[in-house]
Formats: sequence, C-alpha cells, structure tokens
Amino acid sequence: MMPDEIIAQLNAEFQCREQQVHHLAALYTTHFPSPLSLNIHGLTATGKSSILRSYFHLSRLPHTIINVRECITARHLLERIVAASLDALDDFNDEKIDRRPYARTENLSALCVNMGKLLDGREKFILVLDAVDKLREGAGTLIAALGRLGEMIPTLSLILTTTLPLTPSTLHCASTSFLHFPSYTRADLLTILSASPPKIFTATPSLELFPDYTPDLAAEEDAWLWGRFLQAVYDSLSKHTGRDLLSLRNCAMRLWRPFVEPVVSGQFGTRDFSRLIVNRRHLFQLEESVLDRIINSTTSDAALTTGVLATPKPSKTTPHNLPYYTTYILLAAYLASYNPSRTDVTYFMKHTDKRKNKRRAPSAASFSVTGKRTGTKHRKISRHLLTPSPFTLDRLLAIFRALLDGTVPQVADLYTQIATLTSMRLLVRAGGAGSNDALERGGRWRVNFGWEYARALGRSVNLEVGEYLVGGVD
Amino acid sequence: MEHQRCYIYEPPETEERAPKRQRTGKFNPQAQLSERLQTYRDIWAQQEERIQDTLEGADSATQDKIVNFISASASSSGETQFAIPTALIVAGPSIASHGPFFERLGRSITDDTNSVYVVLTSGECPNLKTLLKNLIKKVTSRVEDEDEDDVDRPSVSSRYGPKLLNYDLGHVQEWQKKTCAASIVVALQDSEAFDLGLLVDMVDLFHSWLDRLPFVLLFGIATSAESFEERLAGNSLRYLEGEKFDVTQSDEIIEKLFTATVANTDARLRIGPNLCHRMLDRQKDHVQNTQDFCDGLKYAYMSHFYASVPSVFLKDGIAFEDLAADAFEAVRNLPSFRRWVEEKLEDGQAQDVRQLLDSNESLFDQITQHIKSGQQALSNLSHSTHVLAGIREALRMSPSVRLSSIWTRAASGELNGSPLVRETMLSIKKIPSDKLVQLLAAMNELESDYFSIDLVSSQQRLDSLLKDTDAPLRTQHDVRNDSLRTTVVAQKVLLSKHKAALSEQDKAYSDLVTRFHDELDAYFTSSLIDPRTLFLSEILMYDLKSPHTEVFQPKPRFAVERALASPHDYLGCDCCTGVDGNPAALSATQPATAIVYQMYLESGTLINVSDLWSAFNAIAGDGVEENEPKTMALFQRALAELKYLGLVKPSRKKPDHISKIMWKGL
Repeated sequence: MMPDEIIAQLNAEFQCREQQVHHLAALYTTHFPSPLSLNIHGLTATGKSSILRSYFHLSRLPHTIINVRECITARHLLERIVAASLDALDDFNDEKIDRRPYARTENLSALCVNMGKLLDGREKFILVLDAVDKLREGAGTLIAALGRLGEMIPTLSLILTTTLPLTPSTLHCASTSFLHFPSYTRADLLTILSASPPKIFTATPSLELFPDYTPDLAAEEDAWLWGRFLQAVYDSLSKHTGRDLLSLRNCAMRLWRPFVEPVVSGQFGTRDFSRLIVNRRHLFQLEESVLDRIINSTTSDAALTTGVLATPKPSKTTPHNLPYYTTYILLAAYLASYNPSRTDVTYFMKHTDKRKNKRRAPSAASFSVTGKRTGTKHRKISRHLLTPSPFTLDRLLAIFRALLDGTVPQVADLYTQIATLTSMRLLVRAGGAGSNDALERGGRWRVNFGWEYARALGRSVNLEVGEYLVGGVD
Repeated sequence: MEHQRCYIYEPPETEERAPKRQRTGKFNPQAQLSERLQTYRDIWAQQEERIQDTLEGADSATQDKIVNFISASASSSGETQFAIPTALIVAGPSIASHGPFFERLGRSITDDTNSVYVVLTSGECPNLKTLLKNLIKKVTSRVEDEDEDDVDRPSVSSRYGPKLLNYDLGHVQEWQKKTCAASIVVALQDSEAFDLGLLVDMVDLFHSWLDRLPFVLLFGIATSAESFEERLAGNSLRYLEGEKFDVTQSDEIIEKLFTATVANTDARLRIGPNLCHRMLDRQKDHVQNTQDFCDGLKYAYMSHFYASVPSVFLKDGIAFEDLAADAFEAVRNLPSFRRWVEEKLEDGQAQDVRQLLDSNESLFDQITQHIKSGQQALSNLSHSTHVLAGIREALRMSPSVRLSSIWTRAASGELNGSPLVRETMLSIKKIPSDKLVQLLAAMNELESDYFSIDLVSSQQRLDSLLKDTDAPLRTQHDVRNDSLRTTVVAQKVLLSKHKAALSEQDKAYSDLVTRFHDELDAYFTSSLIDPRTLFLSEILMYDLKSPHTEVFQPKPRFAVERALASPHDYLGCDCCTGVDGNPAALSATQPATAIVYQMYLESGTLINVSDLWSAFNAIAGDGVEENEPKTMALFQRALAELKYLGLVKPSRKKPDHISKIMWKGL
C-alpha cells in the first residue's frame, strides 16, 4: 500500500490523530532510514498502541510488537523479543529460520548476540516494546541498554512506548527521538465518540405503527441526541473525574439507558433535549456513574432510573455473622489499636460501677479546632482517622477479657480465631523483621479495618465501641 | 573430674521390683475391638452419606447460579470483552469450609460447562511468578519434570530453539488451541489473604491476555464484597465486571447437618444433650465451621465404640455365640442396669433378677429386646421434636426456636411439660380454622411410622365443616369469644368472663380442635421421655464430655501456666505441696523454673535480674558460699527457659532488666 493510502485509511479509522500518523509515516518507510530508537509517549487511551499496530500492519514493514505488560521478568522480556522476532521474520519472508542457535537468551549480551545474528544481512526490522514503563523488574539500566541496541545492530530500529517521556537520565543518551501523543481535547473526544451513537430504542418501533420513523431517521435521531448528551456528560461529570476516552465512554454508556428511558416510554420526543435533561438532571448529580465497580449493583441502577436523589445507600460495611467471641476479639483489637496503652487502666480496670470507666459524652470544648491558650491554629486529627498503632497479643487478650462480662476459658479456639482473622486480613502482623514468624516473642499486631466497621460490629453484640474509645468520635 | 571427658553411666542395680509393672492378668480391655470397629464403620458410613447429601444440597442453589454465570460468560465470549467476567463469592467467615466448597463447585463446573477449573490459594502463590507456574501446571495438568528455579526451563530445549519459560501464559495458549475450552475459570479461594499488589498484577496480566485466553475469575471472600472492592484500585476494578454470589451461612448448614445426623429418626447411635450443647455452642461462640462439626460427631462415634465394650450390642443381627462373657459383665456394671434391676426387685421379680445376674442367655435376650425398644423410643423422641418444630414453624410462633435446641432439650428430658410445649399446645387450642388448614398441610409432611395421629380424619371433618362457611371458624378458647363484664356490687367491682354463644359450626369445630389437641398432647407426653432413664441408655447414647473437650478445645496456655505456677498439680509429690499447708508458698524443692516464674508473676513490667537472683537465692540456695555457683546455674537455666517460652525478653529501656511480656490468665 502506498504511504498516502495508509495515511488516508488511518485517518479515517483514528480521528484527530492526523499529525501523529503523518509523523509515523515519515519516520518509518521502506526506503528511507528510520531513527534508531523512538520514544512514543502519551497518557492512556490516546491511541498509541492501536495506531502503531495498524500502521505497521498496513505498511508491511518487517516488525514485531511486544506487550511488555505480559512479561513477568526481564528475562521473560528478552526471550519474548527473540522468539517474537523469529516468528515475525518467518512470517514476512516466508522462510524457516533455523531456531537452534537462539535457544537461550539469558541476559542482555545474549540478546545483543542473538539479535545481531538474526538480523545480520537483512533489511530494516522494527521492534516495538509497548508499555515499557510497565516492566515489573530490572528497570534500572535495561531500558537504557535496549534503547542503544540499535547502535550495535544497524538494521534494527526500536520503538518504546511509555506514559511519560523517558528522561535522558533513564536512557543514558540524549539523541533519542520523541513522538508525543497528546490527550484528546474536548472537541476531539466528542468527535470520536459521536461517530458511533448507540440506539435510543433497543427494539426498533415497528414500521406499521410509526411509518414515519424510518431506520435512516432513527440513525439521525440517535446521532443528534447522543451528541447533545455527550456534551452534557462531559461538562457535568467527565471534565472533573476522567477526561480520557475510555472513562468518558464508560460513563456515557452507563448513563445512556436511564437517560433515554423517558423517550422510550413515550414521555418525551426524541428532540426534546432540554426537557429531557431537566427531567433527568439527577443523573448528572450523582457520582455512581463515574465510580468503577465490579458489581453493577441493581440498587444504584434503580436509584438512577427512579430518580430518587437521597436514596439511603445500603450500608457499606455490613458485618458478617462472625462468631460471638470472634466479634469481641476484633473489637478488642480495634480498641487496642486506637487507644494509647496508658489509658487502658482508666477504661478497662474492673470497677464496681461499670459506667464509670466509659467515656462521658464529648463536651463542646473538645470539638473546638483551635486551642484555647494559643492564638495559633492547633490542628488535631481525630484518632480514628490515623493509622492504627501496633499492639501486643497480650494486650488484645486483656482488653478482650475486660470487655466481656463473664469469664472465658483459655481455650485454643481463641488463638484459632486470631489466626483466622489474620488470614482474612482483618488483623495483620505489624513490624518489619520477623513479622512473618508466628512464634516470634512479643509479636505485634494491627487492625486492618475502619471505625465504621468496628461500630457496626459492636452494635451487632450490643456494645457501643465509642464509649471505650479515647478521644471524641463523630 | 576435670580431666575426664566422658563417663560411663552405670545405673544402680537394685534387687527390688520395678516400680512400674505390667498387668499380667487375663483381662483384655480391648475385647472384641474388631467387631466394635466394624459396627462403628457401618454406622458412620450411613451418617457420612447423610452429611455429604446435606452439604451438597445446602449450596446447590448458589452453585447452580455460579455455573450459569460461567456458561453465560463463556457464550458471550464471541464479541470482544473489555473486562474479565468476575464472580465475587461471599463464602462467609468460616474459612475452613471454603476448601470443600470450592472443590464441590469445581466438580459441578467441570461437569456442566466446557471449561477448565483451577483453584489457587494464597499459600501457594507468594508472588506472580509462582502463581503463574501453579496456574499453568494446573491448567495443562503438566507434570513438572524438574525441581525449581534452577534453570526455569527443560534442558533439552537447546535442540529445538527457544522454548517458553515455565511461567509464560503461552503454555496455556497452546493448550487452549488444542482443547478449545470455553473458559478458564481461576478461583482464588482466599482472596483476602493474597497480597494486594499480586492481585493487581494478576488482574492486569489476565486482562492483557483476555483477547486470547477466556479467563473467568472467582474470588472467594470471607468478609464482604464491598470491602474487597475497596481494597482494589480503580484501575483493576475497571478490568473486572461481574456479580456477587452469597453462599449459605454456615449456621444454617450446621442446623441442617444436625437435623440430618443427630436428630435423624434412623440414627442408631445418638449424641447426648451435653455433648450436643457443647458442639453447638462452640459453633456459635468460637468457630463457624461445618467440617469441625462433622469431625466432632465422628470423634464422638469413634470414642463410643472404641472405649466401651457393651457398644458391641449395637451391631446388627448380633448372635449370642459371637459375644464374650466380658461384654455381659460390662452390661451388668452399667448404672442403668442397676437401676433397672432395682426397679424389678421392688416389683418383686427377684427370680427374674437372679436369672439376669446368673444367665448370660437370658440377659442377652433382654438386651436385644431393650436395644430395639430403646431405639424405638429415641426415634419417637426425635420425631416428636420434628413435629414440635414443624408446628411452631407452621404457626409462625415467636421466638423461633431451632430444631437443634429443641432436640437438645428433649434429649435431656426437659421438654415434657416445659413452657415451650405448653405454649405451643395453648396456641393450638385457640387456633382458627384457616390456620389449622395450614398446620394440617404442614404436618402431612411429617407423617411417618413414629407419628400415630390420624390426620386424615381430622382433615376430612375440617373440610366438611369449612364447606359452607366463609369466615374462619373459631374455637371456644379463642379470646374473641370472651367478653368481660363489670358489675358493681356493694361498691366492689366484679369482673366476670362470659363466653359468647357459639354457633353450631363453631361448636363442632371446637370439638374437632379439642380432639386434635388432646391427641397431640398425648403424643407429646408419650414420646417426650427422658432418654437417660432408659435401660441401656449408655449404649444408645454417647454423652461423655471428657475426651471431646480435651481434643477439640485444648487449653495450651492454661496448661503451661498451671504447670509453672503450681507444679505440685502435675508432679503430685509430697515435697512440693507447700510450706505449712499453704500450697501457694514457694519452696526450694520446686523446679527452679517454677520458682522463678512465680516470682515473675509478682513483679511489674520491668524486672531487675539482680533482684530476681537474690530472691531466688534466698529460696533455692542453702546459704553456703560454695554452693552458690550451683544455684546460679539453676537460676540461669530457669531464666533461659522462661525466655524460650516467650515470657521475657531483654529490655532496652534499662540495663540489667528484662521486660515481662506475658501475663497469667489471658
């Protein structure tokens, strides 16, 4: 295919990337020399990988593209480079290269030798390492070394794609060329997304009932409403939460069905955009549609469609039915983490009057942010917002016994429960060295859940945790 | 001494008899062990079958849903997917039952869908590389032909050119090309215990392979799906999309298991009320674990047959010739035998008693008879608890009492005439006809050999009564038929109750209900016996708490603390019992570690070792200067032992101090 045709086709496929396509076409052609290494950089969803893939596919240049995300170790990457290059060369030249000499690529020098051997006497070969900054290990000099691979093997030209431009200090070389894929602007985004409008009516209205509503008209209406809708979504939500193509598209797709629901039900016409947006304004006020969730919960969908703004969210931390003593162990752990140990005597000593050692209702003075004595602002962060502090196992057990009214036998089940909670990551071993050794003397622990969860747990066994907590809560 | 490096130890030879001798008598405590074990295996096999059935039935609904989800995601894999199909399986906090659950799930997934199923646990996946190795190994069922990381590839490779590393998902791709599985289901059994970074990496990697490999992820979650979602970063969440599945709560499964095993009418050996109480309480208070419950049950069955000779009579179709005389002797020593014999003597049947004591044959006849009748009585008891629970459920009475607690109370003989039964019977007395219809329908299901009430005739009479009425009929005991009348006589208020006049139909209905109530009452009174009064109840019911508690709820810390704080409890010697009758007092004869530990208990958080030494020397030393090094050696060893036990550690706060890190009684 001729370069001009390639450019035309790519421009049709990837809108708003004319400049980048032209650059690529200028840099990588069959006859002119190409840069030894090129760093293509740009944020996610700016079309780097797709354009590269399409361009090289169309231009019929010998190349191979390696997704570095799929390489676990540096060696994995090196092996993949050699294996993929072999496959690509086999493919392009329709031959069978003897693979036996390339069995091992343990390190960079082996890579140099193998690639040199492989590309010796061949024409230009392009190696694309996609998302090279996502390499899981060996980032130190590996990228620099790879970047200079072209200096040793003249027919190899390398393309590294990254999110941020590689700095000269990483590359150890100032002569690398760069190609920037800028983020799409608002106009770009709207142009790209309005190219493929979704349907308003999932089931097309029958032609007998609505003879005017022809498929052509339907497509026109879809595009019109979708374009207007996209603008509204971008201006109200995506501008502040996620401006890239994927986020905007996800968000718009999530909102589209609830948005056009009145149109489908016949309440509004397809062109009643202003009335529609007033009617569905709550969609643009909730944050549900911009949050990424695994479960697209039906409750939030219901909230979106019914339009109830102040739906009480289903309480986020529904505690599971833990066994009775396990609950108390967790509560004791929470208190041990968030109370300083010197206050234990005040809170957990057995008095005759149990009420005495509970916290009194916080007075107004304790809420004041500024200190009384000093004029300067003395900020105090509430304890439950800080990270939990570690505690020893004996302190946990002591608080556990103080919280319970009766006595608990010293059975091994208590330790089983602590072990279970640890494997559920509700309790975690704190401290660096030796924290993995369960038999370590005086091992320290931390809780791994927040105040909301603790309060809900406490209420499930009729214990108000706040009464035992130092410092005001809420 | 100083120049001698080794010694030959010659034990002093004594002419006296050894202090420990073996019993040489003929008595064999393990008489007929093989028969008893055979009986145990027979009986336990039945119970185990019931347990398996219950467990499989319990979560079949959830499993079906998950299987549907997987096949749905497999069928939609034609179009390009943006996210990995993910099922969040909230399996509850009973971690030990997750393993069997995922195993069963895997079986139904591989049976019902064309997919491969892999379970990964956090233990075998410390990092991404190991996770992938395990995954590949399990997916392709490939045998790893070399040890570990040494070369990461087979040595033969140099002959054939580059080979994939053994953590490259390319292996799975090759395998996928051959088998064309619809989906590769990867279940992370304990997803909370996985390292967070590992999960993120894994999701990222699987997502980038998603166009070639049809992955489906199952996350086993112990806490809640929300907290799991909160842990993952938004980027990973974008790659996942799916549904949440709730597994049946473990206490419901326990209840079903209890109904199927202990409260089953066909059980040949029953677990007594104390043991039941203990097992159920433990489930409620400490662990929620179906496996543990089954183990407890099994252990109880085992201990019954292993330890008690008369249990051999539970064998099916046992003949007199099979039995040794020991077994009969053992039966004659049972408390229930004595009680029974005494009753017989009071009735003046001295001849029978004499025969029972003398003749094994007649005792054998009696035993076989009574075992049969006792089992019948226990089955009646079990069934009556089912009936009672069924009635309460049908009438929706509050508080809802679980069958397990009803059964436990019935087995301890408390239920006959208890408030629970009385309340139930009273509400039957007042039952309106529309509820009675429901009740009879519910009780139809409970009809069996053990339940003798003629429900059919009641049903027919009720039907004929209801034929020509619209409003529900009420009995004479119904409060709505009462009215209070106030009369003032001589400045005193008299309250009197009056029955409203009943219609003919209501009267007939009242008769019906009264008869039904009386029959039911008689049934409960006859079947709710105290099983411990039965002759041979020791054979029919196992209710010993001693080995069970020690095995399932040991007290390791308590044992160590007790041994150190009061060594005479364990040593049992005369010298350590204390000074002047005070068992708590320290004396030089106690082990050195125990002495130091007791001083340790009295001290504060930081202990001055020098003080500790002088206190120790005052007790254990004899005041002679030359012996002090010996005492010091004892002291140092004691201290080292405390350190080994994890009771003290060197302190950095003060020199010459150790810090106390464990307190007694926690």
